[in-house]
Amino acid sequence: MTVWLLLFAVVAGIARKVDLFSAFSEGAERGMKSAARILPYLAATLTALRVAESSGLMENLCQALAPVSGWLGLPSGAMPLLIMRPLSGSASLALLGDILRAYGPDSRTGLVASAMMGSGETVLYTCAVYLSAAGIKKSRYIIPVSLAGWIAGCVTAGLFFR
Amino acid sequence: MRGVSAVFFLLITGGVLYGAFTGDLTKIGSAAVRAGQEALETVVGLIGGFAFFGGLIGILEKAGAIGLMSRAMRRPLEGLFGKNAGDEAFEAVSVNLAANMLGLSNAATPMGMRAARLLNAEHASTPSDALCMLLVINATSVQLLPSSVIALRNAAGSGMADAVVLPGLAASAVSTAVGIALCKLLQKREKSE
Repeated sequence: MTVWLLLFAVVAGIARKVDLFSAFSEGAERGMKSAARILPYLAATLTALRVAESSGLMENLCQALAPVSGWLGLPSGAMPLLIMRPLSGSASLALLGDILRAYGPDSRTGLVASAMMGSGETVLYTCAVYLSAAGIKKSRYIIPVSLAGWIAGCVTAGLFFR
Repeated sequence: MRGVSAVFFLLITGGVLYGAFTGDLTKIGSAAVRAGQEALETVVGLIGGFAFFGGLIGILEKAGAIGLMSRAMRRPLEGLFGKNAGDEAFEAVSVNLAANMLGLSNAATPMGMRAARLLNAEHASTPSDALCMLLVINATSVQLLPSSVIALRNAAGSGMADAVVLPGLAASAVSTAVGIALCKLLQKREKSE
């Protein structure tokens, strides 16, 4: 999959007379910088997560949420992501990395959590940025509708890996 | 960011209090101190993958992928947003969505803000139907290539890092479709009231 996209990119690039090497390097620089930029947010997220985990609170929370996760068809280990994704992009990325390490990237929990990740955004943040750009304070039904979409996406992710 | 701070507060106070009753506070303390080190290790694992996908998308961007995709989306978007939004607004909306699909948030966000401004040309105090649609589509995310997820999976030693691309695409499409459908439904209901 990734390989075909790479092939497509270089063929399309050559056809459009793109300087492939420098276009790739510029993009790579951007990518590396954005990886480095999330470090402080990762540190903050992991600090809170580690406190909750090493005390045993996290396990209890996941167990408490087990009925909800069963009802949605999601593995209970992916439930923290359900809550975190709409709140913060970098925190949820840290959380996903954690889930992948704890359960294994190719376990059901790892696969479902990975597929969930792309079906949502930071709802509150996105809403705040765009509405304030338009000079608007009210948000009508945007937030509940977006959250409903996010949950529907998660359920879909769960259906793919049984 | 307030919501995140609330979660941060709850996890830490909850964890410390829970730990005080059940067991080992020293263990919690050292786990907390190690978190920064772990964050650094995670980032080191991610930098390589992010470089690869950044480079790949860099080529696609220079090859004019955003322009091509935004032109292709023009017609379907007119159906979603209603025709009275104006040419300039449509341009901004389609570039915003195309950049989002490619995961180019640096290009997507300024265009989205411009689109939001243009869609609210009358300076109304509540968002119009079209503006709600733009926000819901952005907030439910349409991602073609989940590059950061693949990079994370690779860093975690997955043997099939890109096995989640199609399921992720389907989940992403369903979340957006449900968002759009609910928008349309609520818009119709408000009009009939």
